[in-house]
Amino acid sequence: MENNKQVLVIDDEAHIRRVIELKLKKRGYQVTLAKNGEEGLKLIQTLQPDVVITDIMMPKMDGKTLCERTNELKKIRPFLTIVVTARISPTERDWIEQLQDTVFIEKPFSLQTILKCVDQYCGNQAQ
Amino acid sequence: MILVAIILIGISVFAHTLIRDEERFRTQDILKKGNYLVSLIALHPIEYFYGEKNNLFLKTLAEQVSSEGLVYCFIHDRTGEPLVSFVNHNVASKIPPEVLMRSLYVEGLTQQTFRLTGSNTTINEFAKPVYQNGEKSGIVRLGFNIAPVSFFSSKRLRLLAMMAFFILATILLLHHGITLAIRPLNEVNANFKRIYMDSSSVSTGLRKDAAIADVIADLEQSLVQLKQKHEKIEAENTNLTTKCGVISFEKTNILNILDSMNYGIIVTDIQDNINYINAYMLNILNKTREEIVDRPLNESFDHNEINSFILNQDGVTQNNGPSSIDIEFPDLAPNETFMASVSFLRDREESVIGKVICVKNVTKEKSTERQKHEFIASITHELLTPLTTIKSYNEMLLDNELENIELQKEFYNTISEETNRLTSLVKNLLSISKIEMGNLTIEKGLIKGDWLFNDCMAAVEGTALKKNISIERELPDNFPSLVGDKELLKAAIINILGNAVKYTPENGHIKFMLTEQDDFIIFEVTDDGCGIAKADLPHIFDKFYRSTDPRVTEQTGSGLGLALTSEIVRLHGGEIEVNSKPDEGSHFMIRLPKEEYYLGKQ
Repeated sequence: MENNKQVLVIDDEAHIRRVIELKLKKRGYQVTLAKNGEEGLKLIQTLQPDVVITDIMMPKMDGKTLCERTNELKKIRPFLTIVVTARISPTERDWIEQLQDTVFIEKPFSLQTILKCVDQYCGNQAQ
Repeated sequence: MILVAIILIGISVFAHTLIRDEERFRTQDILKKGNYLVSLIALHPIEYFYGEKNNLFLKTLAEQVSSEGLVYCFIHDRTGEPLVSFVNHNVASKIPPEVLMRSLYVEGLTQQTFRLTGSNTTINEFAKPVYQNGEKSGIVRLGFNIAPVSFFSSKRLRLLAMMAFFILATILLLHHGITLAIRPLNEVNANFKRIYMDSSSVSTGLRKDAAIADVIADLEQSLVQLKQKHEKIEAENTNLTTKCGVISFEKTNILNILDSMNYGIIVTDIQDNINYINAYMLNILNKTREEIVDRPLNESFDHNEINSFILNQDGVTQNNGPSSIDIEFPDLAPNETFMASVSFLRDREESVIGKVICVKNVTKEKSTERQKHEFIASITHELLTPLTTIKSYNEMLLDNELENIELQKEFYNTISEETNRLTSLVKNLLSISKIEMGNLTIEKGLIKGDWLFNDCMAAVEGTALKKNISIERELPDNFPSLVGDKELLKAAIINILGNAVKYTPENGHIKFMLTEQDDFIIFEVTDDGCGIAKADLPHIFDKFYRSTDPRVTEQTGSGLGLALTSEIVRLHGGEIEVNSKPDEGSHFMIRLPKEEYYLGKQ
């Protein structure tokens, strides 16, 4: 099941980072963790992940800022961003839709949904 | 014949003097009245004379004083445009046109006279400019008619009759005097019989004296009547002056009230020219009244949003867009939000004659609204985070993804911890909303100080251990008790102790003390954590308040804990105190009344 796809999980809640990490590692993904947007942004630049899973409400740099900043990077090297968010307003939905390769999953999420998203994107890429 | 002529001349000279006197008296009276009235009216700011309502005051005034000889009242603005013009309809057409313009160039209080065309009536005009901030902003002109004193007025005829009577009496007296004077001459030639006759004429003289006394009495009575009439007129005059004073006072009062209001008020006429603006609004716009009043609304307001909003309201079709809008003046009042609303000024026939624009500062309301919105967002996040953990951990266990027994155990533990976190969060929320609504019930019971102490310790020990924070405990030898709601007090103290653990870095140190002082039990929590910034200190017990310090924001929190704690302590008759220095640590102290003291108080 080992593959070389890199997934970066950014969340301020340790439990959530841990459970996503476990689930994805079991499917053979390489998983890296970050506590906040600032850490996440640095890792995106150095690690060049295939998928980024990020929370919205985070200290230091929130998920929104992170998405805005990385949208430009995606033009050079595309990757999937999964935004995990508590609530989604119509304006936020519009905002996510105009970003490249970005989907959102509402909290509380099912790990299966996240895995499906990641699998789909990485599988499509492989084809 | 000569005598009659002399009498007639005498009467006419006397009457003439009387008429002259009366005329002089009237002129002086009108001079006094005119000067007073014109000065009184000119005291008002010129904008007072715009619009129907204010004219009502002048109308009343004119009606009141028209009997006193006021024939017209003109008020012009500085360009000569008439604002108010009341003219007695008898003289309206007779005022020479050059007079209409003549007084516009006076500088101070002036008084001049002119004759009405085609009439002998002399008009005394009093004019005074209206000054505003040292500048002439208009003219008030009052015209008084000094009615010619008619020779044949009933009053005068009576006076003349009296005068004739008096003169006649005088002649009779004189005649009698002459007769007396020539008596010695007669005596020389006359006999004793004549002397007899003279003695009888003395008695006649005595009768004549009685007639004079009657005339004098009659004259005196007339004088008293005249005096009474004069007094009555004077009283009426005083009454009128008082009324004028009251009206002027009330007007000033209303203007003062409008100026001291915490709302901006603008009144426009039907053409959307500004008639009135109050001090609050002038302050917002940073303009003077002169720059605004009498100008079209869209010239005075350099604000497209508000202009189009106000101009679109026509008062006929009421559903013409929203009745109020939020506006901002970024240059004049940065960070402030105002709400402008329009209502319509109507006359007695209910037709629209202008607009009243009310501008209110709603910055505070907007910020409360925003705070509530942020609070709901943060609460949603706070509630969903443990739920997400519980759901995903549970999913892992259900899907048999964890073969390792130890890992399974860790997952079950985490689910249990997160459930507790969720429970305490919901409880906190419930308590705070109950306190807000004023229906939190305190279940009072006897609490042993050390139980409370140990329960609170137990609640935070786990987290402290993970961060390798040492908690030093200090308890008295005999444990005092207190009366209160154990669950609430526990929540209050755990909030403080939990904050100490939360904001103290790894390997830090916390001191948790229970001491006694007089009638109080004191719980103290001292930490060497990040401390509280000076700017945050006054707000830490405010609901939903969270510091913007990154060391605080990187921790989860709803901004409810300390608000709840202080409310609980207050409800128990206690006090909470905090001392803190940034980067050095914080010291919280909760003083609660002891059992004995509490019972003593009941």
